[in-house]
Amino acid sequence: MYSFTHLSGARRTIHRRRLLHLTFAGGAALTIAALPRAARTTRAAEGELVVANPGVNFRTEPDRASIGIYPLNTNIFEGLVRLGEDYQVEPMLAESWEFVAPNTWRFTLREGVTFHDGTPFTAAAVAWSMGRVARAGGGIVGVDENSTVVIDDYTVEITPAKPNMRFLEKLAHPSAGSVVAPDTDPATARVGTGPFREVSYIPEDSYVVEANPDYWGEAPQVGRITWRFIPDPTTRVLALQAGEVNLVNEVPRESVADVEGSGFQVLRSPVGAYSALYFNIHGAAPYDLGQDPAIREAVAAAISKEAIVSGVWLDNAEVGVSMIPPAILGSAGESIAGVAYVPERAAEILDEAGWVAGDSGVREKDGRPLKLTLISGFPSASAHGAMPELVQAQLREVGIDVEIVTTEDTATYEARLQTGEGDLWAEAGSQNDGDPCFLPDLLFSSPQEGGDAEANMYGNAFAPGPEYDALIATCRAAPTVPEVQDAAAAAVRFLIDGEQVVIPIAGLTRIYAATPAVTGFVPHPSGLSQRWTTVAVAE
Amino acid sequence: MSTFVLRRLLYLAPVWVGISFLAFVLATLAPGDPARMSAQELAGRPPTPVEIAAERERLGLNAPFPVRYVRWLANAARGDFGLSYRSGQPVTAALLQRLPSTLQLAAAATLLAMILALPLGVLGAIRRNSPVDHVTRAVAMAGASMPSYWLAYLLILVFSVRLHWLPVSGRGTWQHLVLPAVALGLGSAAVLMRLTRAELLETLNQDYVQTGRAKGLSEGRVVVGHALRNALIPVVTMTGIQFGSLLGGAAIVETVFAWPGIGKFLVDSISARDYPVIQGFVIVAGTAFLLVNLAVDVAYAWLDPRIRLAAAS
Repeated sequence: MYSFTHLSGARRTIHRRRLLHLTFAGGAALTIAALPRAARTTRAAEGELVVANPGVNFRTEPDRASIGIYPLNTNIFEGLVRLGEDYQVEPMLAESWEFVAPNTWRFTLREGVTFHDGTPFTAAAVAWSMGRVARAGGGIVGVDENSTVVIDDYTVEITPAKPNMRFLEKLAHPSAGSVVAPDTDPATARVGTGPFREVSYIPEDSYVVEANPDYWGEAPQVGRITWRFIPDPTTRVLALQAGEVNLVNEVPRESVADVEGSGFQVLRSPVGAYSALYFNIHGAAPYDLGQDPAIREAVAAAISKEAIVSGVWLDNAEVGVSMIPPAILGSAGESIAGVAYVPERAAEILDEAGWVAGDSGVREKDGRPLKLTLISGFPSASAHGAMPELVQAQLREVGIDVEIVTTEDTATYEARLQTGEGDLWAEAGSQNDGDPCFLPDLLFSSPQEGGDAEANMYGNAFAPGPEYDALIATCRAAPTVPEVQDAAAAAVRFLIDGEQVVIPIAGLTRIYAATPAVTGFVPHPSGLSQRWTTVAVAE
Repeated sequence: MSTFVLRRLLYLAPVWVGISFLAFVLATLAPGDPARMSAQELAGRPPTPVEIAAERERLGLNAPFPVRYVRWLANAARGDFGLSYRSGQPVTAALLQRLPSTLQLAAAATLLAMILALPLGVLGAIRRNSPVDHVTRAVAMAGASMPSYWLAYLLILVFSVRLHWLPVSGRGTWQHLVLPAVALGLGSAAVLMRLTRAELLETLNQDYVQTGRAKGLSEGRVVVGHALRNALIPVVTMTGIQFGSLLGGAAIVETVFAWPGIGKFLVDSISARDYPVIQGFVIVAGTAFLLVNLAVDVAYAWLDPRIRLAAAS
């Protein structure tokens, strides 16, 4: 027993044992008190689909709120149009549409549709929803407060604030086109017309929806869907193996063989994402080697995409054809040839260009070694796996030395891109709307006049110049689907076949795993447009 | 004593302002543009220069640095850290929403560590160099060197996938807490066990312990009633330090078990250059650290008059 003098000077006795007991009791009380009262069922109920989903970050402020829409589309909301599995625009709440020159789209709306609260779906809801997008800055569709005009209950016209021939394809993106009930906002209540209606949303825990009995279209096959947010991919697979979920989104490629071997289904979408290398063709020394077309062609010919798809993606990907999904280009995509893997040809090109092998095996010219810097980090270095290392080994075979620089995250990668300090830039991305011009335009158009280093970082490094810009201008202005596909394919051919600014490595698919009881699930190449109505769970 | 406390409190004010300044400056100096990241979140694809410029204006990032800092500091002093760039949610609410989860996990892990460490540490000390001692030391070594994420997967495989005793992930019932607490607490248990053993061994060699034995006290009374009490002082101090490090270092375990705590939230916010969240967290954590240190200073002064008198002079 010890005694201490209290602040007031009075004697007070404290037992250390008591202090220790209090510490334990306090810790235990904190632990127990913090436990939520409700226990969650960890097994799927009959007829319920439980999906292990990566964590999501919804925006929550009014007019910008994306809860239930993006990046997880719970099918509570629908748009006027939808992005099909083949990346073509399909009718949804609009039965049909027509283009009214010079810049207006007139939509004829589906009749007999109601929102989850019983409100009829009319043109007023479209005006309200487009108003939300306008108040948030216009979004990717570029609308303003005056863009939407209600003609009658089932006819509405939308005129983007600036000429935008790709409006319809962009409207298929759920974050731009979702229709919400008039005078509501997903920030506070999720009221849509979709096949499912919200039951609960617990941030960082789960999202639960139930079938909408009054749905206008094909009735959902499951009564309830629960998305459980599990950020770690390995844990998602373990949850499947433990029987806690019956479908897993974004299965790591390393786990596919194990999952299939355990008696589960592995379901793959068509290609909707890519991994590619971009050549800096405007860099200053020592990052100026990409300015030489011979070096670009040699590098493209020295990389075996097949070996990378096999070695890095374990054959859970396709050999890259383009940096946009082949399906979005229709038959025009077949015109993109790509550069075949012929290392002997790569060596010949370098020989002809005067790059001769040095003592170390690395080629040299005028005393300068042929050394490239490869930057990996978009959207993260892990997104590319060991691709940079395989590229490094393959290029070494033809006498090209590669230094790999890994950036911490997207922001660090972009900060480096602004400086132009790198020759090859590894990027992975996905296509989430129906506009085939978007990525070729955004990443490879010439820098904007007066734009700063950040605004022009892609153009400053990768833009081929006026000839390419003309192709993009054609793509932007193309009035019909075949014409836009032809124009986009021409631009991509220019980048890949002509100038070798882009070296596509792999076409990536979305990989799901499911129990044998799950049927009818059709993975969409863009997860944002995934439909959940056809999936069923056998009893 | 009141003068001592008042003086300590006054010291805290400039330190707190210093922390806030560093939080603001360091976050701003980090590479990457929050306007671009936010615009990308909003659009769902790489943003155009026009969208980035609009987002920069909306977020108030065009104002000069001193203006932004003073504006932010004035709000922070009122507990308003602004809105998250990524989600639009008030940062204070976002932190408060996640803090209980992390506190709960850290408290459970610390409790578990103490429950394991104290008896095993005592056992190792009183049975020094016996097989029991060797085994406990080996276990402690293994616990200290095992990566928490690896242990986490191992626990899930055994107790969730094979035995179906405990849930794989999430937060809901006491069962959800068990595996993350074990994964997080085992490393601390190893540290505390070794410290308990070492301190007790040293204490057992003190003269007053020999005196107790000479007076005929039972060995149990000598060890538990006298030696252990004194040996525990550094152990309790270390437990506090371990608890603090668990609060900040639980991100990996939180991610593996989908535990909705503050660790993973902070890591995601750093990647997204969500300045308001990063700055809010630094201020909250820094304030907590200052207050804990104040409490420790006061406690030491309360326990030891020499400190109090030295400070007064």
